[in-house]
Amino acid sequence: MTNQDRPSEGGDRMGPPKPDRDLQALSAFIDDELPGNERDAVAERVAGDPASEATVAAYRAQDNALRALFADQSEPQIVRLRPRSRERYLIAAGFMAVGLACGFLLQMLLPALGDKPRFAERADIAYAVYAPEQRHAVEVAASQQDHLVTWLSKRLNRAVTIPSLAEYGFQLVGGRLLPDEEGPAAQFMYQNAAGERLTLYMTTATIRRNDSKIRTLKDGQRTTFYWAWNRVGYALSGQIGEEKLQAIAYDTCKELGGDPKNW
Amino acid sequence: MSFESDLLAHLPQLRRYARALTGDRAWADDLVQDATERALNRARSFHAGTNLRAWLFTIMRNLYIDQLRGRRDIAVDDESAPWRQMAAPRGEVDGLVLRDVQRALYCLPVEQREVMLLVCVEEMSYQEASVVLNVPTGTVMSRLSRAREHMRVLLGEESGRKASPSSLKVVSRS
Repeated sequence: MTNQDRPSEGGDRMGPPKPDRDLQALSAFIDDELPGNERDAVAERVAGDPASEATVAAYRAQDNALRALFADQSEPQIVRLRPRSRERYLIAAGFMAVGLACGFLLQMLLPALGDKPRFAERADIAYAVYAPEQRHAVEVAASQQDHLVTWLSKRLNRAVTIPSLAEYGFQLVGGRLLPDEEGPAAQFMYQNAAGERLTLYMTTATIRRNDSKIRTLKDGQRTTFYWAWNRVGYALSGQIGEEKLQAIAYDTCKELGGDPKNW
Repeated sequence: MSFESDLLAHLPQLRRYARALTGDRAWADDLVQDATERALNRARSFHAGTNLRAWLFTIMRNLYIDQLRGRRDIAVDDESAPWRQMAAPRGEVDGLVLRDVQRALYCLPVEQREVMLLVCVEEMSYQEASVVLNVPTGTVMSRLSRAREHMRVLLGEESGRKASPSSLKVVSRS
């Protein structure tokens, strides 16, 4: 017989340094699993060697104790015969289909029920706070645009693109880092010749799913259009009139990779 | 029909093994339930005339190993391990305190525990146990030998541990 197992599970705790083979023979001797000649040899050894005798006695005691431990199993076992597995799979599949349908419907309905992402509210407030600011409107000015992009890409853990709104007459003023609910957000500020300002807010922290449909949040004079794409939440805020802002929002969404089919 | 009645005859033994292996009545009953169902659904793959008991034990053992893996993922710590909730048995057999034997059994690695239960409690031959465990008979022999020796060491530690607090008491009293 070869030892096919790992050499010794917990071998260092085995106590007396008896050769494994001898112990195996004693163990198999108790179970009457040795061929005749070997069995006789072991029997002889046990009779003449107190240590082997003690080992055999200890193993036998273990066996008896274990049998005593699990002796009493008299109460009846009840086995319920449920539908065969194929039927069960069909039932499970049915439930799963219903579940999936419910989940899908819920996801369609929830935004319609006014589930505003918090990032849109935060973007709106950030606009209200920073847009009137004259001297400290941004942390990093547009003149250092490369640095701005590198810095905020690093903080948002995503390659950030700053869209150009020049065709609408808005130039980049710069950007800043802001706290969103669970992580960082970036705010980019734009300004036109008349001094009107827009902000584009981006966050990656709380975005769990894509929703590139553009939605609106209004608070007083301020309007925010927001959407989520590729696990980034975007919000464009301003007070230049809803229609004009919406046109810019749609173009921005497209430029940043959103799908116009969803609009 | 005889397949089902043969199967029923093995249920008490199957349950004894499940309880001993898991140390948890509820888990054991579920195992027996699952194993019985699987056996009935796969009755056709059983070759008449071969060892039905080994076949049933194999099915249940595979289920147990799967479920054990699942439970390990939830990280069962020692304190909440199923056998901590087991009733402590009373009494001694051949000079061994049953409570200590129970504790030692669940300290063994599962490979050692299962071979020990199959041979010592279910009284399977090494050959039958090798079918259930899907290892060569030589492995059954060596693993069982290690399990017994391991248990002897554990039981020795138990009595050693019992001796030390009493000597501490003496010191604190003086």
